[in-house]
Amino acid sequence: MQSLTRQTFIAGLALAGLAFPAAGLAQGAAKVGAPAPAFQAVDVEGKTRNLSEFAGKTVILEWTNHDCPYVRKHYNSATMQNLQKDMAKEGVVWLSVISSPQGEQGHVDAAKAKELTVQRNAAPAGILLDPNSKVARAYGAQTTPHMYIIDPKGTLAYMGAIDDKPTSSAASLEGAKSYVRQAVAELKAGKPVSEASTKAYGCVVKYAPLS
Amino acid sequence: MIGDCDGIMRLHFGKRFLRGAVLAFGLAIPGFALAAESAAVTSPRVTATLLSSRDAVAPGERFKVALVQKLAPHWHTYWLNPGDSGEPTQIKWDLPAGATAGDIQWPAPKAIRVEPLVNFGFEGTVLLPLEITVPADAKPGENFALKAEATWLVCEKICIPEEGSFTLDLPVAAASTIDQAAEARIDAAIAALPKPAPFRGKLRDDAGKLVLDLPGLPAGVADLRFFPISDTLIEHAADQPFVAGDKPVLTLTRSSAFKLEKPEISGVLTFTEAGAPRALTLLADADPALMAAGATAAPETRPTVIRIPMPAEGADLTLWAALAFAFAGGLILNLMPCVLPVLFIKALGFAQLAHRNRSEVREQGLLFLGGVLITFMVLAGAVIALGSLGSSVGWGFQLQSPPLVIGLAVVMILIGLNLLGAFEIGTSVTGLGDGLASRGGRLGAFMTGVLAVVVATPCTAPFMGAAMGYAVTQPPAVALSVFMALALGFALPVVALSFAPGLLRLLPKPGRWMLVLKQAFAFPMFATAIWLIWVASVQSGPQGVLAALVAVLAAGFAVWLVGVTRGSFARRAFGSVLAALVVLGAGWFTVQNAIPGAATEARAGDIEAWSPERVAALQAQGKPVFVNFTAAWCITCIANERVALSRQEVKDAFAKLGVVYLKADWTNRDSRIAKALAEQGRAGVPLYLFYPARREAQAEILPQLLTVDGLIAAAERAAGRTTKTAALP
Repeated sequence: MQSLTRQTFIAGLALAGLAFPAAGLAQGAAKVGAPAPAFQAVDVEGKTRNLSEFAGKTVILEWTNHDCPYVRKHYNSATMQNLQKDMAKEGVVWLSVISSPQGEQGHVDAAKAKELTVQRNAAPAGILLDPNSKVARAYGAQTTPHMYIIDPKGTLAYMGAIDDKPTSSAASLEGAKSYVRQAVAELKAGKPVSEASTKAYGCVVKYAPLS
Repeated sequence: MIGDCDGIMRLHFGKRFLRGAVLAFGLAIPGFALAAESAAVTSPRVTATLLSSRDAVAPGERFKVALVQKLAPHWHTYWLNPGDSGEPTQIKWDLPAGATAGDIQWPAPKAIRVEPLVNFGFEGTVLLPLEITVPADAKPGENFALKAEATWLVCEKICIPEEGSFTLDLPVAAASTIDQAAEARIDAAIAALPKPAPFRGKLRDDAGKLVLDLPGLPAGVADLRFFPISDTLIEHAADQPFVAGDKPVLTLTRSSAFKLEKPEISGVLTFTEAGAPRALTLLADADPALMAAGATAAPETRPTVIRIPMPAEGADLTLWAALAFAFAGGLILNLMPCVLPVLFIKALGFAQLAHRNRSEVREQGLLFLGGVLITFMVLAGAVIALGSLGSSVGWGFQLQSPPLVIGLAVVMILIGLNLLGAFEIGTSVTGLGDGLASRGGRLGAFMTGVLAVVVATPCTAPFMGAAMGYAVTQPPAVALSVFMALALGFALPVVALSFAPGLLRLLPKPGRWMLVLKQAFAFPMFATAIWLIWVASVQSGPQGVLAALVAVLAAGFAVWLVGVTRGSFARRAFGSVLAALVVLGAGWFTVQNAIPGAATEARAGDIEAWSPERVAALQAQGKPVFVNFTAAWCITCIANERVALSRQEVKDAFAKLGVVYLKADWTNRDSRIAKALAEQGRAGVPLYLFYPARREAQAEILPQLLTVDGLIAAAERAAGRTTKTAALP
């Protein structure tokens, strides 16, 4: 236990006592089969990115928090990096999204985000900084990791867990079914996504208060 | 001289007698019972232990254990369905061949807001109970090793996956040994589990919303929340609007990952009924149309069966055991040196009367019973009421107030003076229990019962500790029955005497011997008074002694004054008013001077004062720690100190093994000590704990009657010098 407890990380909580309707998130959130919510966010290079600029391409959104044990399970084993590289080969645009607001754990600036990418040998096409939790709110992101796949027509094709093993234990990776690989393969084959919506697992996404 | 009461007790009965009494009641405390709780796995967030309801297990039996998680404030662990994030606690068992472990019986979860999301889990202290089955071919004498690997995610702002290994070595014996305190804790957790709903719900679609019909839900419920076991049924954070009426309906929001694989759902329904929280396990038939709307079949990662709580079998046994202990404790109280004279004189009164009027004797016996019962109920009511108000009191709390201690000392002195014949109490002045006087009226008999209980309170009998500890953790009705059993045991000898003419005939005919014996019995009362004044001195220092002696003087003077001003009304009025003024003045003086905590702490000598931090620090240094929870007013505590703790053999053994002796002195009120007692399932002192010389290791609870050999053996176990001795059948 001792070694694990050092891997502390923060998993999300907007300022305590904030009272806004919790239901508002779920009901306004993204829906599989409907157009993916548009977003605009600044990436780690300082560039403003829009969903619309990726029209015609498959886009993957990965909500992440580098200290979350569930995220670490996928990065420490290089599972996530391999998935990113494989998706890049398929011509899929991979965008990592960091939604922790300033002052909360998981919040990183552009320099730190780039450093983490180098350190972990990660290969996203871009990293979006979402400290106001606007993108998270538009999609209803709940956990890190939480995965969304948008097809070339801009329709949300998949949302949910990265795989079917909802645990932080590294041993669970063996034999896990990657919902993301499955959905992307089915999209490529022109088939409907068989499991288009699954229950995401992981640490809670921390939200900035609604301003 | 510590505790004259103790000295007399040894003179009359001795510890051999006490132990004989223990055996006679068939309630022998088996050796030194092992604490049925594993070593704690501790992080700054969670202190987890494995708790067993058995100290020793019998072949073929099923018994209850629980994983206990004590969470730091604001931290939570997760329910079976953790809600929007998180992971439930899991236990992997490694059990002896043939043994099986049941599933965790999940308590009702709480919705823990992590805006805008929600988690389902537990805060504070949570017990996850389950059942273990011992194989029928287990051999008495073997070790039944319970080994568990548990993993849990604990979250506040940060989430940390933790894991712990727990081991409990339980000896197999022909008959199992119940750990009363542990079983009471587990039973309380089981009693709080969600109960199966007496109705089935129905889940259907209503214009895109999910609605859950709850026919059979009682009227007048509020604050409903449905916690589904499946995590792909509803949006967990969404509001659940409830419409009451003859067709109660709860409206849910379909999960974005909605998936329904069979036409039945299960979960826990929590609500309040008349302000009280309730929880039901609910099964609901789902409209098959919803299944078509659900996604394709994927393997379920979570069980969808509802767990029906196991019946709290054993709970009755625990209550019966507590009642038996209380009854035996009450019987033994009769033998306490502070009580015996009062009862003996009552019995002599019966003997005198019996030659004249047997029905009057019976009537007096019943009146005495009434006095005892009512006084115990009043005391029990006070303990329960104060406890429910959050006040950290326990049995014996009445002796934590110096003015009350002094009041008792005055009562003892007055009884002594009365026994010596220094004054007589007329039937009109009944406050002191005029049944003491041989003539005895009806009110006198009743007041004797009251007085007997009052003088008995300093002498908590050995069996009463466990029973009282059980009682104060139970609902008031159960607590009152335990006190009732105690009262019945206490009253039994006198009542039996009043009803059994044969027994009365055994008493010699009244004569000069009665007068002599009556006078002789004054001295135990004076001795008790000396002891109580010593208690006051410990509580309040020299001022307390002054107050006590002034009170005694005033009481004696007042009684004398009333005695000499008999005759005309004017004389009696003058005497009474003056006596009242003297008593009031002395009372005021007592309250002013007998202030708790005024005494210095220096009396412990080389014994250190207890604190939980000190225990943890010493354990971390690898030192075994002995903690003596005691009070100057606790007669059993002082007896133990005399017959075992202060013996040279024990001192030598402690020194040789490097045992550090800590004393938790509860003579005055101390909420930290009360809390520590409560954690061990006790409501009062004595309590003896031996902490092994390992960081965070759980303490062994020693019996309430100490012996030199037992103490030394426990010291050796704590120091890790000997192998376990309790593994033998």
